[in-house]
Amino acid sequence: MLAEVLVGARFLPVWIATAALLLVAAIIAPAALQSTSWAFVLPYMTVLAIAALGQMLVVMHAGIDLSTPGVMFFGGYLIVGVGHHSNGRLAIAILACLGVGVLVGLVNGILVGVLRLNPLIVTLAVGQIVFAKGLRYANGLAEAEVPSRLASFAQKRPLDISAVFWTGAAITVAVALLLRYTAAGRRFQAVGANPRAAWMAGIHVRTHVVFAYTAAGTLYALAAVLLASVRVSVDPAFGASYLLAPIAAVVIAGASLAGGLASATSTWVAAFALTLLNQVLLIKGLSAGLQFVVFGAAIIVGMLISGDRIASLLGRLLRPRATPTRIASGVNQDTG
Amino acid sequence: MHGSQATEGRRWRVGLGVALLVVALFVVAAAFGSTGRATSPNATRLQSAGGYGEVYKADPKLLAKTLFNAKLLPPKGMSRNVALAAFGRASKKVDFNLALKCWKNDGCNTGTGGKLTVAYVEPFGENVYRHISKMEFILQALTYKSIGKIVYRSAHSDLNRALADFRAMIAQHVDAIVTYPDFADAELPVFREAKRAGIPVATYAWGYVSGPGTNYTTVVGENVCKLGRAYAKVMNTYVKSGDIAFLGGFPGNPLSAGWQKCEKPALNKNINVVASEPTNWDASKVQQVVAGILAAHPKIKGWSYEYGLGMAQGAFQAYKAAGKPFNAVLTLRTDDVGMGCKTRALHNPKLRVFYYTAGNSQIRVALTALMMRLKGAKIPPKIVFPIQLQNEAKRTECVKGYPQEASATSLVPLKLLHRMYP
Repeated sequence: MLAEVLVGARFLPVWIATAALLLVAAIIAPAALQSTSWAFVLPYMTVLAIAALGQMLVVMHAGIDLSTPGVMFFGGYLIVGVGHHSNGRLAIAILACLGVGVLVGLVNGILVGVLRLNPLIVTLAVGQIVFAKGLRYANGLAEAEVPSRLASFAQKRPLDISAVFWTGAAITVAVALLLRYTAAGRRFQAVGANPRAAWMAGIHVRTHVVFAYTAAGTLYALAAVLLASVRVSVDPAFGASYLLAPIAAVVIAGASLAGGLASATSTWVAAFALTLLNQVLLIKGLSAGLQFVVFGAAIIVGMLISGDRIASLLGRLLRPRATPTRIASGVNQDTG
Repeated sequence: MHGSQATEGRRWRVGLGVALLVVALFVVAAAFGSTGRATSPNATRLQSAGGYGEVYKADPKLLAKTLFNAKLLPPKGMSRNVALAAFGRASKKVDFNLALKCWKNDGCNTGTGGKLTVAYVEPFGENVYRHISKMEFILQALTYKSIGKIVYRSAHSDLNRALADFRAMIAQHVDAIVTYPDFADAELPVFREAKRAGIPVATYAWGYVSGPGTNYTTVVGENVCKLGRAYAKVMNTYVKSGDIAFLGGFPGNPLSAGWQKCEKPALNKNINVVASEPTNWDASKVQQVVAGILAAHPKIKGWSYEYGLGMAQGAFQAYKAAGKPFNAVLTLRTDDVGMGCKTRALHNPKLRVFYYTAGNSQIRVALTALMMRLKGAKIPPKIVFPIQLQNEAKRTECVKGYPQEASATSLVPLKLLHRMYP
């Protein structure tokens, strides 16, 4: 029972903080909660959430992936180049984009999971190579617009909310369900929580790490598809802002960079909070410098109140006083 | 009868004499005109048909294409001569195959056997605007037989790499460097190093770094402060009163700060600038910023910005997503084809777009200025083009056949442009 409360506590702060942000926004910047603002916030938070979900899978295995902007950049230009203004070629363009994501993720996974190279350096290097390939590809393209069917997809509004939002919500729910209710998802979480124990239990740890990076690459590519549909066109800055924002969303959502459990729905909420915060700061008319300061401070506060700190505080408060004998034996039954 | 015939003959001879005298006076005046000014060698070159290996003459049609109007040259003196010489060269035939090869390979040997090496070095060269500028530079360089080698470098927005690239050019003793200084005064140290090494440096499209004429040879482009005043004039005429917003590039960049500083005081008292936001010249950031400002100020009437295509890609989407008609006055610096075509496609007379030129061809002026400098010409520190904003409704940016991201005021021939982007 206590273990469940503690695990839940890791992910609770971001929900409370987001509710508080909504309240504050309603008071100081009500325009941020109007339909004009939602028309921007919901699609863009979805793109961030999908990229953050990919990052979350990697962070669960104590890794980090800095190839996100490279994959998104190259993927975006592939949609334009392969799509070539033709709706008939849209499917193959999306497949090409996803293919790049899978390939880059696989390479990252092999380098980190099999060859045991440092993920920070390796993914940054791979991301640079992919970016350079993307640049070379982009140099031969004069047009920047995606096929019109992809653009019109983003304009659809089932229940008066962007189709991009619903797509992202569906992906998030699918990832959450897969992780929580399937045997494969449970094994994936077990490897992240304690790779040694998982290995002793006969789980292929390396395979799971390779899979984590490959799935992450696929999700980045999916984020690129959604971003391209929202933006309609790509340019050299396409995907550039997704280097650190997805990591911030994952950490604020309660995941530990040292690996372990993470929540897909909390990550989605963190992405929403970060995008909304940006919008509130913009609407308040803060200077660019001050916007950076407040945004950075909010991330730090988010990190302070999320993750292990609250969990361990609650643990100390809720844990029954241990007898000297139990302490001496080193058994910690509550969190086991 | 005889008498009248003699009188007639005398009149005829007097008339002929007067006519000859007038012709003689013209000849003498013309001769005096040239010799009189020859007392100052520079003055001779200013006023005669050319100098320093250049001819100060350009095709008026070509000038009208790149400047909107053949009269929009720098008003007088050496600035005008350099511009005329540069645009005059733009009419010369060059080998397009070689130009394309040079463009694709980021440099080439021109095959002329010329001893000079010229470099175009820039911190960021990854968009179509810069690609086209690179081609303009190559085409201009290929008109000089004395240029044997063309070098190009882009640092992909990395300041350290940009400085290293610049230093590499100095170490290789290139003869002239043209650049667009994306990092402004942060690049000043390498400009000074080039100056110490005796290498002339020019920037174009008003890529302003402190101390033109002192720290480097010259800056080519429009006066951004006057651009801001021109924006204000449009806003005063068409917005008259109400809310407008300024958008800019990277926070603190001198281009945005330059026109914003001058537009604001020149606006009517009834016009309020309700926001001034950076966009990093990134279309998705434009979309975010416009969506935010629209939410906070739904009755906004005007937007001033530089990047026309970014506005088209970002703001159009923001208005569409918000379900609002794009009824606004836009003042923009670049004349991207995509902006014009998207505006036309909206069929909205309440969207009024005013634009200046992207200024790709100014890189030709920068290179020619340096080539003239190498021949001993005294180049003015600023070669300034007058500003005349164009009204999209009267002169569209949407020129058929051009890529959406290109500028139709570029002097890269359409045939070559299609080979660059097949």
